[in-house]
Amino acid sequence: MKERVVDAFRNFFIIVTHINVAMFVLGGVLKPDQKFGYEAFAYPLIYGAITSIPGLCMRTTKEMSIAQTIIREVIQLLLIVVALLVIMFGGRPLTVDMAFQAASVAVSVIIVFILVNLIRWILDRKTAEKMTADLEAFQRRN
Amino acid sequence: MDVRIQKIDETNTEYVEIGCYKTDSRVQDIVRFVKAREGSIEAVLEEKHYQLPITDIYYIEAVDDKTFIYMKKDCYEARKRLYEFESILSEREFARISKSVVVNLMKVSSIKPALNGRFMCMLANGEKVIISRKYVPDVKKKLKGEAE
Repeated sequence: MKERVVDAFRNFFIIVTHINVAMFVLGGVLKPDQKFGYEAFAYPLIYGAITSIPGLCMRTTKEMSIAQTIIREVIQLLLIVVALLVIMFGGRPLTVDMAFQAASVAVSVIIVFILVNLIRWILDRKTAEKMTADLEAFQRRN
Repeated sequence: MDVRIQKIDETNTEYVEIGCYKTDSRVQDIVRFVKAREGSIEAVLEEKHYQLPITDIYYIEAVDDKTFIYMKKDCYEARKRLYEFESILSEREFARISKSVVVNLMKVSSIKPALNGRFMCMLANGEKVIISRKYVPDVKKKLKGEAE
């Protein structure tokens, strides 16, 4: 349980950081003159929380193969895209401008998702290197 | 054949060295005997019973209701359940790395990241086994010599 909470928090903060970057880039391209109040600081946290929900809901104690994990990650990505699009654009009439914005958001989400997984992989690689060093010491001791 | 015994410092690992012209059945018998002294496990392959030296085991896997012991090349079926092996081998160089696998850490050549916080053990015979997230902290402790 502790491991699950630590992992969820780690993912949340990685996601929030990337959402900040995505909002900076997307905002600069699509609406460079847009002005915000202090509530703008809350958006990455809100979006971070929303995009963390599919990951928490889809957690399973079952041990999956690499292929199953990849499929699960793709489904999770699609759920995140749908959740964000519904929250950001749901209930509004569809226009060409909005479709373009929605497509940009979807692409940003995919990029953020890939970056989040890349960073997690880099962190895991560091852990793996440390474990391999400990393994070599363990084998020398025994 | 001369038999020489050399006392070594306790900081070194004990070893048996055989000087021979060729590794014939006589030498293999000695090797089997030395390995058997380190402990062995009974297993079955093609209806024949074998005593497998514990030090030669790569990993033990539970599949459905059966338990299999993987050696360098062959796979044997064991009567004991995985949790029994986990208990028997907990004081040795073995670690539970997932719900279904106990691995011999002496046969792991390196550890690589896998997806989703899991890690992959690359074994000396080229096989790969997954360390699931749940067992990563225990494996880390075992490697550091902190396991209970």
